[in-house]
Amino acid sequence: MTDHEATDPEATGPEASETDEGDAGLALERTSLSWTRTAISFAALGGVMLKDNVITGLLVLAVVPLIWRLGRPPRSGLPPSGLPTVGAIRIRAITASVVGVALLSLLIAVLGPSVPGALHR
Amino acid sequence: MSRSGRFAAWWPRGTADLEEGHEPDPRFTFANERTFLAWSRTALALVVAGLGIVQLLPPFPRVPAGRHLLGVPLIVLGAVLAIVAYGEWVRNQRALRRGDPLPRSVMPWILAATIAGMAIISAIVLLISAVR
Repeated sequence: MTDHEATDPEATGPEASETDEGDAGLALERTSLSWTRTAISFAALGGVMLKDNVITGLLVLAVVPLIWRLGRPPRSGLPPSGLPTVGAIRIRAITASVVGVALLSLLIAVLGPSVPGALHR
Repeated sequence: MSRSGRFAAWWPRGTADLEEGHEPDPRFTFANERTFLAWSRTALALVVAGLGIVQLLPPFPRVPAGRHLLGVPLIVLGAVLAIVAYGEWVRNQRALRRGDPLPRSVMPWILAATIAGMAIISAIVLLISAVR
């Protein structure tokens, strides 16, 4: 084993490639966790918005369960040929959500009331 | 390549466009999806930072529009980053299916330029509010 392999947890030898990296199931789990982190990011942004504008904050928070649900692996198992179609729909949903949230934030930033110096107090 | 041709290469004509070629290793498809999600979270972080600057920071003395000058571009760039991330996902997925080399990503360049630009604008706003 080289120094690089000894220190780098991502390094893959023949054994690792057959267990960890070679397992599509773990890739699915990592992707599912990534979706969960994205949902948490939306929840955090919704919480920040809730402080300034209740309706906008609730709108953003309403997106969180949808994103969490989109990231759940299918119970029946997804055939590999189904991935692109389903993936495209999920990715478009996330893109639309982020752009929508950015537009709402822009409206709040430009038109909404602010509490200047709230971080200073 | 014409402008419409570049757009067509960037934007899928429908799900059929993403079903050309052969099915890649699912791990590559998942990795592409995770990369897109990571960029989406980065875009959300930019939006949160922009909103926080406008809504929560104290006003800069002698620079009344300072908070908006710093916050609004961050929010706009968050939206731009999300849309570009979608385009990158489409291009990568298409390349994976066709067995082509992965296209070069413009996302790190956009993010680096954004951070550098915002750092310069922040320094200018701080200097004006402190010196004048």
